[in-house]
Amino acid sequence: MDAGALAAAALPSFIASAVEFVEATTIILAVGVTRGWRAPLYGTIAAALTLAVIIATLGVTIVSVVPEHALKMFVGALLLLFGLRWLRKAILRFAGIVALHDEERIYLKEVAELRAQGLERTGFDRIGALVAYKAVLLEGTEVAFIVIAFGAGGASALNAAVVGAIAAGILVIALGAALRKPLTMVPENWMKFGVGAILSAFGVFWFAEGLGAEWPGDALSVLAILAAFLAASWISVRMLRAMLPDGAEVAARSV
Amino acid sequence: MSSLKAVWETVWGLLVDDGSLAIGIVVALGMTWLAAIALGDAGRDQVGWLLVAMLVVLVVVNLRAAGGSVRRRIS
Repeated sequence: MDAGALAAAALPSFIASAVEFVEATTIILAVGVTRGWRAPLYGTIAAALTLAVIIATLGVTIVSVVPEHALKMFVGALLLLFGLRWLRKAILRFAGIVALHDEERIYLKEVAELRAQGLERTGFDRIGALVAYKAVLLEGTEVAFIVIAFGAGGASALNAAVVGAIAAGILVIALGAALRKPLTMVPENWMKFGVGAILSAFGVFWFAEGLGAEWPGDALSVLAILAAFLAASWISVRMLRAMLPDGAEVAARSV
Repeated sequence: MSSLKAVWETVWGLLVDDGSLAIGIVVALGMTWLAAIALGDAGRDQVGWLLVAMLVVLVVVNLRAAGGSVRRRIS
C-alpha cells in the first residue's frame, strides 16, 4: 500500500475521530471540574479498553475473513449510510434549520446535572466514572466504526486509520486538559460536513469497485465524486435558505 | 446491559438517523447492483457514476422534503 493510500485512511480517520473526541472531552471536563479527576480518568481508561477490544475483534475479523470485493461493497454501503447522514445534518445546520452543536451549552448542562447529584466525600466516585465511561464509550463507538470503515482496505489501512484516530484523541484530550474548558473553537460543523462528503465519496468509490467497476484515473475519481456531493450540498443549502425564513430553527430530531 | 443497549442505539443512529434517507441509499445501492448485473462487463464501469447521480438526487430531494416539513410546521 503506498503512502497516498495510507494517508487516505489516516487523515479522514483523524478528522472524523477528532469531532467525536471533542464531544467526549466536553463531558469528561464537566465531570473532572465538578467531581475531581480520578473517577473520570478510570472511566475513560475502562471505555478505551472496551473500544480496543471492539476494534481488535471486529476490525481484524472483517479485514481478514471477508472476501475483498464483498468487503468493499459492505464498507462502501456503511460509509454511505454514515457519510450522507453527517452531510445531511451539516447542510441542515448551515441552512440554519438545526442549531449548531454548542459545546459550551452541553458543558454547562452537564456541570449543572452533576452538581445536582451531589458528591460523596469518601470512597470512589462511581457516578463520575460511569458518566465518563458512557460518554467515551458512546462517542468512541463512532470512532471505532470510523476506524474499521477506513481500515477496511487491509491491515496497513487499518493501522493507518488507528494511528489517525489515536493522534486525534491525544491532540483533543491534550487541548482539553490544557485549556480546562470546552473546545468551542473547533469548527465542528465544517469538519462534519467535510468528513461526511469524503466518507460518501469513498463509499461510492468502494461500492462500485466491489461490483467490479474500474474508475477512470483510479483513486483520482474520488475527487470528481467529492465535487458532485459538494455541488449537491451547495444547491441544498441555497434551496433550504430560499424555502425557509430566518429563524426557522427546529430540534435536530424533528427533521 | 444498559451500556450494550446504548452502544447498539448509537450504532443504529449512526447509520439510520433519518429513515427515508437510509432507505433511499439502500434502494440506490440495490439498483446499482442490478445495473451492474444487467449491463455486464461492457457497461459495468459506468455503474459508479449512476450511483453518484442517484445519491446526489436523493440528497437534494430528501433535504427539500425536510425543508417542506419544517415550513409546514412553522406556518
